[in-house]
Amino acid sequence: MQNGHLLELRQVTKRFGGVTAVNRCSLELAPGRIYGLIGPNGSGKTTLFNCITGLEPHDDGEIRYKGERIDGLRAHEVARRGIGRTFQIIRVFPELTALENLLVVTWGPFDEAHRRAQELLRFVTLDRLQNEYAGNLSYGQQKLLEFARILMTDPELILLDEPAAGVNRTLLNELLEAIRNLRAQGKTVFIVEHDMKVIMDLSERIFVLNYGEKIAEGPPGLIQSDERVIEAYFGR
Amino acid sequence: MVGQVVISGLLAGALYSLVALGLALIFGVMRVINIAHGTILMLGAYTTFWWFHLLGVNPYLSLLASMPLMFLLGLLLQRTLVTRVVDAPELSSLLLTFGISIALVNIAQLAFTSDLRSVEFLTGAFLVGPIALSKSRLISFAFAVTITLLAFWFIQKTKLGKAIRATSQNSEVAMICGINVPRIRLYAFGIASALAGAGGSLVAVMFAIQPEMGQVYTFKSFLVIVLGGAGNYPGALLGGMLLGLVEQLSSLFLTTQLSEAVAYVLLVLVLLVRPSGLLGGRER
Amino acid sequence: MTFVSLSRTKKTLLAGLVIGLILLAIYPMAATGYGIRFMLQLFMWVALAQSWNLISGLTGYVSFGHVAFFGTGAYAAAILIATHGWHWAPASSMGGIAAVVLALIIGYPCLRLKGPYFAIAMLGLNEVMRVLVSYFEGLTGGGLGLSLPTLYASVQIYYAAGLAAIAASVAAHLIITSRFGLRLMTIREDEVAAEAMGVNTARYKLYAFLISAFIPGVVGGLHARDQGYIEPISVFPLLTTITMIVMALFGGKGTVWGPVLGAVGLFCFQELVWARFLYLHQILFGAIIVFVVLLMPRGILGLVQQRYHLSRSL
Repeated sequence: MQNGHLLELRQVTKRFGGVTAVNRCSLELAPGRIYGLIGPNGSGKTTLFNCITGLEPHDDGEIRYKGERIDGLRAHEVARRGIGRTFQIIRVFPELTALENLLVVTWGPFDEAHRRAQELLRFVTLDRLQNEYAGNLSYGQQKLLEFARILMTDPELILLDEPAAGVNRTLLNELLEAIRNLRAQGKTVFIVEHDMKVIMDLSERIFVLNYGEKIAEGPPGLIQSDERVIEAYFGR
Repeated sequence: MVGQVVISGLLAGALYSLVALGLALIFGVMRVINIAHGTILMLGAYTTFWWFHLLGVNPYLSLLASMPLMFLLGLLLQRTLVTRVVDAPELSSLLLTFGISIALVNIAQLAFTSDLRSVEFLTGAFLVGPIALSKSRLISFAFAVTITLLAFWFIQKTKLGKAIRATSQNSEVAMICGINVPRIRLYAFGIASALAGAGGSLVAVMFAIQPEMGQVYTFKSFLVIVLGGAGNYPGALLGGMLLGLVEQLSSLFLTTQLSEAVAYVLLVLVLLVRPSGLLGGRER
Repeated sequence: MTFVSLSRTKKTLLAGLVIGLILLAIYPMAATGYGIRFMLQLFMWVALAQSWNLISGLTGYVSFGHVAFFGTGAYAAAILIATHGWHWAPASSMGGIAAVVLALIIGYPCLRLKGPYFAIAMLGLNEVMRVLVSYFEGLTGGGLGLSLPTLYASVQIYYAAGLAAIAASVAAHLIITSRFGLRLMTIREDEVAAEAMGVNTARYKLYAFLISAFIPGVVGGLHARDQGYIEPISVFPLLTTITMIVMALFGGKGTVWGPVLGAVGLFCFQELVWARFLYLHQILFGAIIVFVVLLMPRGILGLVQQRYHLSRSL
């Protein structure tokens, strides 16, 4: 790992036809921390996640993970290197059972995978529903299942796209607790979130996107009082 | 020789455009590939055949029967069956319309037998310099172009046509904007079937017909909308002409049989290189 | 859940399966020629429906031209038998391999196509294969077809077809109960999410496609030997693809026993009830398709499975 960065973006650019969704975006993530990514609607947050995870290959720039270029890799290759993600909308596999949703993302010996899957289902309190089809679970349960599925792949870097959206208070607290837990285990978490309170509480460092460009970066306290950020959100 | 080929290509292409515009309407509005589209064309062809054979009516005049009849059949099919699978996975609509197709084809075989039938109306050809133009093809061409342009004008200019286009762009947004989407789908299916029926009437004057004639038109129409870009109605017009030309040109070098394979290879190539169609915009 | 009674049911089913297989094994000793031909065709349908289920039931990529592999296998085997004097058993295996080669050539580009585009590309593949086979007359006899030397081997083909059906079903069981099978299903459920979770969807799709093509290739070879004569329109009919699909759908796609159930049900119905009325039969067949699609898209086992929470392998 060169210069200690886990993930490093250099001048990453992504265009859709005439629209530049991500514009020369550079940022670095150090291991074992929680980072936030904010910005108004349409500022390119999800697109940036898609570039990192290989779902929408970017047009220009470099992405390095543990010092190695990962741009040009296909999404599954990126995932297998240890970058896990969730999506803005829940994307569990509805006609697989809860248990199968976890088993399917494992590659090691089956017995061990099975044991670990049950352990994780207990962790997210879904153990009694392990044989239920994921599509039959409630919204909150699906959210937990998706979270467990990420953990199942044992990633070092976890990208969460709006984990708090549509989640009630109790569940939210459980999720936040779990995310802090991940950090304690030495994982790196990168979160896109609209709920400012959540992201300010959680993140150690925040990046702000506007029109695809990174306009600010810093600890939550500084970001909250940054003029460019306020302008981007509320206009002048 | 080349002049002859280009002209024959355009003559054939106009028919493809007409029929494919129908399939494109259904695909655009519902994302359903109507396997029964060619079957409806076949029924249009038989309508013309029987009108000519039993009543002695001018086959071109029978468009006035085949189009409304197929329009009604289209409404019926959409209302009772197709509407139920619009939002289902594509396997459902493919199979459903295939089921409709096989039932209708075999009803036609029971009713009309599988003998080849033809309408002997205009025979012979005009000679323009070295180029021979079959009279029936030329007049059918004129009808195909006229009907296609009328349909196209309808889609572009009328209120219903605009609603159809809005629905094909994004049915959810169209619904929010107060467009009665189920009704638009109904009309689109009806109009599409009327276009197929018209195509059938024109085919009947040019070629011998039989109940299983439709499948190849379904396939070619799909090829045309892929060439033109799905949901892109002007694209369907150009795509039809292009297919006609390519077919005729390849028949210069290959046997007729192999030139059918050319159409398929073209289909796969276009799908792979430009999934949004040769003439379509960039897909997002 | 009542695990005790469940495992008892399972034991009963397993015992029934073993007895059934033994009965089928000794059946030719007691059966008439018609009975044997009936059963061997049924076996072929079971294998075909299973093969379609493997690619389309699991990954959701609708192969609308699956009969192309059947026809390719039939021609490959027939040519080996008729012009190279091969025995039908290795020739049929080669039929399977020919189908796999075709699947490799066509699958690599076409599996990138989504939804209806893949379905129609497969439909087109079948048309092209038929055209090509008619065109290369020197090899295939063109439109006139290909006659094989006379051979009375119904009983042997009965066992071969039975073996094909069992092998296809065992393969389906092994795949569906494995993580490989689950990964195929994630492609059906949400291909993008699967990819983001580390599933190499392109490779898995291709594997499923190749396995799925091998079976109809072999069955095509057996069919050619059984019929003694093949022609382009007899081994590349779209209707055969549709029949496999409806069988798998009717029984329950994505399950191990669905295609078996669907093939037995539909084939018996077709043969026994109304095979004599050609057009009427097809009209009814069209109506059955519409009925299955509209009213029971999950199939018999799909419904049972959902209601009683059974596994896909029963």
